[in-house]
Amino acid sequence: MEVVAFLFYYITPYIAVAVFFGGIGYRLYRWWKRPPVTSHLSLYPRPRGRAGRLLDALVDVFTLKGLLRVNKPLWIGGFVMHLGLLLILIGHIRAFTDFYFLWDLLQWGEEQQHQFSAVAGTIAGILFTVPLFYLLARRWSGPVKWLSTPEDYFLLFLLITIALTGFHMRLLTRVAVDELHTFFRGLATFQWQPAPTSTGTAFIYHFAFVQILMVYFPFSKLMHTIGGMFSKMVARS
Amino acid sequence: MGVLTQLVQNLRQRISRPLQYYYDVCVRCGACIDACHFYSYSRDPAHIPAYRVMLAKRLTQGGNGSNELVRWYRDLGMLDGRAVEELEKAMWECTGCRRCAVFCPFDLDTALMISAGRYTLLQEGIGPEMIAEIGNAEVSKGEIIDMIKDFYLEQVKSLEARLQEEFASDLQIPVEKEGARVLYVPLVGEHAIVPAAKIFHAAGEDWTLSLFTATNHSYFVGDMAKAKQAARWIVEEAKRLGVKVIAYPECGHATRTLFSFFEGWFGDEIAGIERVNILQLVADYLQEGRIRVQPGTFDVPLTYHDPCNLGRNGGIFEEPRLLIRSVATDFRELTPNRELNWCCGGGGGLVAAPEMKEVRMKAGRKKVEQIQRTGAKWVVTACENCKAQLRDLNEHYKLDVEIKGVIDLVADALVL
Ligand code: HEM
Ligand code: SF4
Ligand code: SF4
Repeated sequence: MEVVAFLFYYITPYIAVAVFFGGIGYRLYRWWKRPPVTSHLSLYPRPRGRAGRLLDALVDVFTLKGLLRVNKPLWIGGFVMHLGLLLILIGHIRAFTDFYFLWDLLQWGEEQQHQFSAVAGTIAGILFTVPLFYLLARRWSGPVKWLSTPEDYFLLFLLITIALTGFHMRLLTRVAVDELHTFFRGLATFQWQPAPTSTGTAFIYHFAFVQILMVYFPFSKLMHTIGGMFSKMVARS
Repeated sequence: MGVLTQLVQNLRQRISRPLQYYYDVCVRCGACIDACHFYSYSRDPAHIPAYRVMLAKRLTQGGNGSNELVRWYRDLGMLDGRAVEELEKAMWECTGCRRCAVFCPFDLDTALMISAGRYTLLQEGIGPEMIAEIGNAEVSKGEIIDMIKDFYLEQVKSLEARLQEEFASDLQIPVEKEGARVLYVPLVGEHAIVPAAKIFHAAGEDWTLSLFTATNHSYFVGDMAKAKQAARWIVEEAKRLGVKVIAYPECGHATRTLFSFFEGWFGDEIAGIERVNILQLVADYLQEGRIRVQPGTFDVPLTYHDPCNLGRNGGIFEEPRLLIRSVATDFRELTPNRELNWCCGGGGGLVAAPEMKEVRMKAGRKKVEQIQRTGAKWVVTACENCKAQLRDLNEHYKLDVEIKGVIDLVADALVL
């Protein structure tokens, strides 16, 4: 067990980062290698001009307005989940550095920072997690089950697991961000530092599952993060 | 197994960049399920847009040699006779309406996969060959045009004489007129020529009638090389005569080839030649005051069906509405309409395949319900495919409506 934990603390993170970026690069290359089509595959009505179409695609990516029009329950589920995810990603900046500028501006001490993070983090976590259960339930019932593959379930379970281990740290322990900073900076500079202790055992599970997600990301449908924008531009060509 | 291996190989070669996006981006969320009029009646998974693509993906990415665990995990299934049967249904029972692409949060285009899939299947002789044969005839027409030209010119002359008697004594139907501004490309039969000729006459347009027809059945079966060849005759005619504008008739798929494919096919060859649908031309005439119509000529309740290929695939939404409103008093919209309009169920070449009639009638149920909700007596539209399908639906479901074309309405309301 010690050995496995050691590996996940100090060795596999490098692999995860390498596979994540390398894999995305590989997928981009594969897309690029495919022959483009010479026809216009536009859907109408479409905005005028290149800039207008790019803007329209971007607005759609961030609001999913097209989905809102045709499927409201799915929009609520999907939008809230992705919003929670975005907030969580922003929040995780605190694991590596901190919003020093913001805290200075607000003149908040450590206690206030912690409380703010606790409230905001919990809300974001709920926004992320609850819709995941809805998306899971959708796959079990109704016609979406025809489309669902084991891959889809695996991803949803993986995300739920990551969220739950995150909740564990947030709600059952009091994480010292300094410890995290030291640990991650150590990893980044190859000068390994002791793993955080304030987080209890949940940290290593959380960290390990995130690494699995990173390794898997480029080879899964999560590539919709990047490819979605491309296919939207095809429909506005 | 031979057929299957060949099929897989051919299909793999047709996976273009947008299709690779589809493979990799689709999150299988199912938003597209509600878009398809086939699924709406059948509840058959092979009619779910994303599932259709998953079936093709099975063929191109699966393979019986691949690891069993991987196959289970990605739901690649087994390649056997059943897989081909399911694929056949998925590829042919689709009208290429692209309503599913509007529903998809990533705008993924199932019709693109259908096009690739149909072509590959037909190469193995799987599918309604009738459509492909009409396509072949359109291609060879260019080669034999000199042989049939005289007969065609004779027919046009007699039509012209008739219209001079019935409509206006100085009306002309010019053919092969060099230096004309507009080359109008009709359909088979005089119904697409008569109203256009009247309107061109009223507008004083300098036009000429094409020797060819706009329809392109090779496009329906995804045979892009032949589709291009059929279109080439028209481009060559346009260049030979030196026209400024190529105008296509009330025909959805032909207009789509004109708008979306010509540039990629012919590049510089057609630079400087404007490409329009006749609805756009006539709407311009009306707005510029080149033609006048009698407002309120028609007081029956009527509705407009947006053909998929003119609407969400061609961007023509307002012109037909403008024209209809200028001559009718009781215009009623279908709900939903414009880019969310239900497909009539006859597109994708299906009206040309007799064996598809039964499926077509079921796929048109949504359209029938939509029409009934408006209480309209006339259904106006601007696509030959839609008109044929709507007429069949009218008969099959005893709708008791009449099917009209937009430019027929305008032609009948002209004030000379
Ligand atoms: C620009 C970024 C992104 C966009 C525009 C986007 C958009 C979407 C859309 C439209 C859906 C389908 C409908 C829905 O379930 O709401 C979806 C599903 C999904 N997204 Fe994203 N997404 C993005 C980034 C991400 C990222 C970074 C992740 C995870 C790490 C993610 C995870 C998921 C998952 C797991 C699903 C599937 C839900 C299910 O199985 O039903 N997305 N996304
Ligand atoms: S709506 Fe788009 S992403 Fe969702 S299942 Fe259909 S094709 Fe896939
Ligand atoms: S293009 Fe139209 S008919 Fe074909 S799958 Fe999509 S919605 Fe169904």
